[in-house]
Amino acid sequence: RPALRAVIKVALLNHEPTGKPITLEGVFVGGSAGYAEGKLMQYHPLSLCNTSEDERQENDFITIVKLEHRVPRCLPLLDKARMALDKGAQAVIFDVSDDANAAAELRDTDSLPRPVVLVEAEHAEELMGLVNKNEEAKVRIDILVEPPRWPHYDV
Amino acid sequence: SGVSSGCQQGGCLTCSDYNGCLSCKPRFFMHLERIGMKQIGVCMTSCPPGFYGTRSPERNTCTKCRSECDSCFNKNFCTRCRAGFYLHLGKCQENCPEGLVRSDTQRECVPRCPV
Repeated sequence: RPALRAVIKVALLNHEPTGKPITLEGVFVGGSAGYAEGKLMQYHPLSLCNTSEDERQENDFITIVKLEHRVPRCLPLLDKARMALDKGAQAVIFDVSDDANAAAELRDTDSLPRPVVLVEAEHAEELMGLVNKNEEAKVRIDILVEPPRWPHYDV
Repeated sequence: SGVSSGCQQGGCLTCSDYNGCLSCKPRFFMHLERIGMKQIGVCMTSCPPGFYGTRSPERNTCTKCRSECDSCFNKNFCTRCRAGFYLHLGKCQENCPEGLVRSDTQRECVPRCPV
């Protein structure tokens, strides 16, 4: 079953809502396709290792984690995704640009309660660029509906 | 990804632009610091107030004290309580046991003053 693609719309909170929101794409994993929205909040890959009583966010937020192959996995990625959702995230975005195994690790799972999306390349760079500049942003995730490709008729 | 300014800290062993420190040199503690929407790794010789250090073969980390503690040795031994809580035998409680009274200045359970 081909993985469903995700459309990610990003609206900057501290800017006048003039321009169109930034539109990016990703891939849903773990049978988790669906809608979610919240404030973008970065988590260090090592923060999803134990259930210690660390900070809990108040309002709806969407977790983004840039995975690094140089950080030894303290937990399987599926468990990290679940832990992020258990900590209250409305959805989880994994930047897998620097971790080639991540996609394979999550491909066969089918049991995530809320959306988990993998992003890479220019889509990931755009999101992490906002994080790096601490640009507060609201993110909406939904299923990407591909326009129907009309078969070629020889008229 | 390349090395960023955040990576030049003394205790950092490996780091990245977006996550800060990924691993620390021996004896340093990895502390995950939240700055707005960002969370970066920082390597410290000792953990900041409100956190305690845990050593393990893989990595030394700073872990948050219980919510009612302002500072602690470990998860089960507080050394100073948050306002509204009082320290007794390493625990922060809202009330003190029989024979002791609450001291708001010290945030501790203390013996009753002799009359």
